[in-house]
Amino acid sequence: MNDRASTWEFGTRQVVYGAIGAALYGVFSWATNIFPLPAAGNVSFRPAVAVLIFFGAAYGPWVGLLAGIIGNTLGDMLTGWGVYWNWSVGNGLMGMVAGLVMAAINDFRARADILKVVGWGTLGIIVGMLFASLTEMFVGGIDLNTALVGYFVPAFLGNFLVTIVLVPILMIAFAAVAARRGR
Amino acid sequence: MPDAPLVIEDLSFQYRTRPEPAIEHISFELKPGEMLLIAGSSGCGKTTLARCINGLIPRSYRGKREGKVLLHGKDVSEMQIADMAQIVGTLLQDPERQIVASNVFNEVAFGPENLGLPRAEIIARVDQAMKRLKIEHLRDRETFNLSGGEKQKVALAGLLAMNPSILLLDEPLASLDPASAYEALDAFRSLADEGKTVVLIEHRVEDAIVARPDRLLYMEVGQVKYLGSIRDLPTEINHREVKLPAEWVVKRVRQMGEKMEKTEPIPSAGRGEPLVVFENVDFRYSDETPWILQEVNLTIQRGDLIAVLGPNGAGKSTLVKHAIGLLKPTKGRVLIEGKDTRSLSIAQIARMLGYVFQSPTHMLFAPTVREELEFGPKNLDFKKDVMENAVIESVSTVNLKGLEEYPPLGLSFGQQKRTTIAAVLAMQSKIMIMDEPTAGQDYANYTHFMDAMCHPAADGSQSLVAANFAATLFITHDLDLAVTYANRVLLVGDRHIVADGTPEEVLRDFDLLKRYRVRPTSLLRLNLELLPRTKRFLTAEALAAYA
Amino acid sequence: MLVSWKYRPRNTFIQRLDPRTRFIFMACIIAALTIPEIWDYRIILPLFLISLTQYLMARIEWKDVRRAWFYIIFLVFFIVGLNGMISGRGGPSSVTDIASPVVFYVPIIDRLGWEVPITVSKIWFALNQIPRMLTMALLAIPLPYTLDPNIYGTAFRRMGVSDKISFTMDLAFRFLPTFARDLIITMDAQRARGYEMDKLKGGVVARIQRLAPLVIPVVMQSTVTGEEVIDAMDLRAFGTKPRTWLKELHYAPRDYFIIGLGVAIFITCCVLKWGFGIGGFFVPEFFTRLMTG
Ligand SMILES: Nc1ncnc2c1ncn2[C@@H]1O[C@H](COP(=O)(O)OP(=O)(O)OP(=O)(O)O)[C@@H](O)[C@H]1O
Ligand SMILES: Nc1ncnc2c1ncn2[C@@H]1O[C@H](COP(=O)(O)OP(=O)(O)OP(=O)(O)O)[C@@H](O)[C@H]1O
Ligand SMILES: [Mg+2]
Ligand SMILES: [Mg+2]
Repeated sequence: MNDRASTWEFGTRQVVYGAIGAALYGVFSWATNIFPLPAAGNVSFRPAVAVLIFFGAAYGPWVGLLAGIIGNTLGDMLTGWGVYWNWSVGNGLMGMVAGLVMAAINDFRARADILKVVGWGTLGIIVGMLFASLTEMFVGGIDLNTALVGYFVPAFLGNFLVTIVLVPILMIAFAAVAARRGR
Repeated sequence: MPDAPLVIEDLSFQYRTRPEPAIEHISFELKPGEMLLIAGSSGCGKTTLARCINGLIPRSYRGKREGKVLLHGKDVSEMQIADMAQIVGTLLQDPERQIVASNVFNEVAFGPENLGLPRAEIIARVDQAMKRLKIEHLRDRETFNLSGGEKQKVALAGLLAMNPSILLLDEPLASLDPASAYEALDAFRSLADEGKTVVLIEHRVEDAIVARPDRLLYMEVGQVKYLGSIRDLPTEINHREVKLPAEWVVKRVRQMGEKMEKTEPIPSAGRGEPLVVFENVDFRYSDETPWILQEVNLTIQRGDLIAVLGPNGAGKSTLVKHAIGLLKPTKGRVLIEGKDTRSLSIAQIARMLGYVFQSPTHMLFAPTVREELEFGPKNLDFKKDVMENAVIESVSTVNLKGLEEYPPLGLSFGQQKRTTIAAVLAMQSKIMIMDEPTAGQDYANYTHFMDAMCHPAADGSQSLVAANFAATLFITHDLDLAVTYANRVLLVGDRHIVADGTPEEVLRDFDLLKRYRVRPTSLLRLNLELLPRTKRFLTAEALAAYA
Repeated sequence: MLVSWKYRPRNTFIQRLDPRTRFIFMACIIAALTIPEIWDYRIILPLFLISLTQYLMARIEWKDVRRAWFYIIFLVFFIVGLNGMISGRGGPSSVTDIASPVVFYVPIIDRLGWEVPITVSKIWFALNQIPRMLTMALLAIPLPYTLDPNIYGTAFRRMGVSDKISFTMDLAFRFLPTFARDLIITMDAQRARGYEMDKLKGGVVARIQRLAPLVIPVVMQSTVTGEEVIDAMDLRAFGTKPRTWLKELHYAPRDYFIIGLGVAIFITCCVLKWGFGIGGFFVPEFFTRLMTG
């Protein structure tokens, strides 16, 4: 396999996985935007989030950031909702924060490392969704409670659920793939 | 005299993550306009050697590297990647993964754009490259819906736009149908004639020699076993590792004095009862798109071992997807054991037909092989004990014993392939359908795989598929598979089944084959020659007994 | 169900505009509304009309956007309604705290007599909120239908984004259809093994788990693809020098006009709000009278 990059490096590797992550995020959210989680505001129930968190953890914060921003935009565009900058940035932050854990992961199969990723992923979800929800106060002119009840809570719950269920599965699968990378 | 384009001196490399070296003590030198064919089975180090030449080693891949690689006298490890890129152009195995732009023009321009060349020059270069490969008509197409052959040409044009003096082609034929492969080889030849140094990596020597390479380099486990002329037959080359022309194999087998017993023709299984019936099936994907299938009538019977041939886009996959109910006919109907597929759920059909997709990576997901195999049966709500037996049996059938708790995604390609077969076996379907079962595997692997699947065991007992399935059908671009393994051949072309019969009947009509972009192989020719005495088609090895 | 990028070349003023113009104008309007926190219906309505015009000028077929609109309308009303119910503390709508005649009460739990007072100002605030939100949606929705996906990278490069990041966008667009197809193939492969998407039984967690057979193969294959793409790009000198971007973009007079308009709107809003104190939230007389009779 090509060499693991250091956390903040930004080269071809980050460009490629940023783009791939974004495309995956776009495709999966488009595929699931069709059935949004009830009462989740414009936050639909996206398995794609697990992919984003995983990409962050596997390839670092830059990849997480780009995959989140571009991916969310692609997803919204494909679904036809238009572009909502604050939600895209929020998703970017989500992946980026998750990406901070990259350097601390050495075995994708190890329970400890999986917990680390889920933990940082959760933090990422909080930061990202909080950002998006709070900016909605000024974009949409809603007040704190509405931002929290209408946007943050459902967004957080949906993403958190997806993350704890799918991210471990993704990591274990990835460990196997990485083991035979190059042939 | 000017320095040779490529000089390799006692080159060895060991990936940091590997205990053993991938290549050892390799030395050779290439002149301008020379074409070198590198052959060898999977894992012998071909790609690694290529990476040393194009500078990915030591740049992107860390490890222990010894010896020298000189490009026009300059040492690779001291060159800038930007300069390298203009000397060596590398074509990767799968064009789908090499293409980085959404439309053809940008794809070809990608390299020059990265070099920051002035716009006018880039456009000039791109036009020239496209003219060179006669693909101007693709200029404004989206890269995504190009055919495999077109993708390849576009990728190649992208390299030519950098005007490199050395072309490095790593298994460029892998994803092409025979006709496209032939065109590609033609292009490689003429590029060499123009003075470019060409390194062609390909395990299907039989096909590669069409490009008339000057020399052949044959590798086994990282070492050079033979380097020299390709004309006089090099006996060092193992015909089980790489695909040689049938005549060579015969000669070799005789030279090696391998024991040759005339194989007794197995009585071709008498036609059993019909299992799947296509009645005047017409199909198109949507009202806007053209018809893909028209007036298709087909009956799959017990005992059939069918090979489906035909050009890219002919509708082969579409055809078989009707058999498993993934697609329903637009007109006409498909009956499975008398029931219309429209009235059956996919799950119900899955009990009767198993479909193995081309690439294992499209279906493998479970953490262990066992869970992977249990997935199907669980979906079909098998009883627990039934399921467990089914799994155990299927595992031993494809001999994956001992790997039950191993992650499928961590297995070698060949093993993954067998896992997908086992997954179908475990569902205890009656009929097995395989879409391009050998694509992306090297010769040694896929002959071994197909032998294991379709050949009667040495003890004369039934073959794996014959023993486990009432009928088997596989799609392939490799004519020799049809020649060697099938007892019935379907030729699919422009929306119809244009031929249906035993290999001996269908494959004798060369005009028909050529019309549908199927190129007769040396094995087919030899078989037809000897047919009066063999009575049926045989493998090259077996033919040695008659030749 | 193939991912269909909804862009279609149309001979409209909107699509003749430089893509950069579209982004900049959109940014200006959003900024004009949010940064100086405009809540004055006398400013919101004109802006609403402007973006409505540009939406209509884009000439998008209704069938393309129907679903999206239903969804957005639902969302807007859901959020606005919710906000009307529970607003009061913090955020811009705290303006509605000011004592204002109560029009009616929404009972939450009758027995406890817990009920939410809906004041005139709250209603008026909601009435402003709706067009204000729609103004931004109207600008956003046409983009995917009217911007050529091949132009994003160039556009952002020309707006000063770095080579690498701009190309990441192009690359993402490049991979979109590939992975969509992979997803479809995987879907077929698993269905052939008796997997039924619609037969998702069990609770949410079980449902999410049922997605693994679709998600895992696609994602894992993409990670392998990535390694090859990296090689392919390195081998073609990506990132070694400043890139030339083949596509050229030129501002035409119309672009300067639109950008000018956008900037003007932004500045006007700021000046009105901070210079003259106009543009903040207030309940006009006629409305209070209308409500309280
Ligand atoms: N990136 C890598 N990291 C570690 N080991 C690798 C890597 N790539 C290849 N190898 C190992 O080096 C050996 C040679 O691999 P290589 O890909 O060069 O063989 P190959 O002849 O190209 O095989 P194929 O014909 O299947 O492409 C194999 O054992 C392979 O497992
Ligand atoms: N999902 C789809 N939607 C629309 N058209 C499709 C779809 N899948 C395939 N086609 C078209 O149907 C035709 C037949 O495709 P099919 O995959 O059956 O050919 P094939 O014989 O399997 O080709 P190959 O040898 O390359 O696998 C092609 O022209 C293809 O473009
Ligand atoms: Mg190789
Ligand atoms: Mg096919």
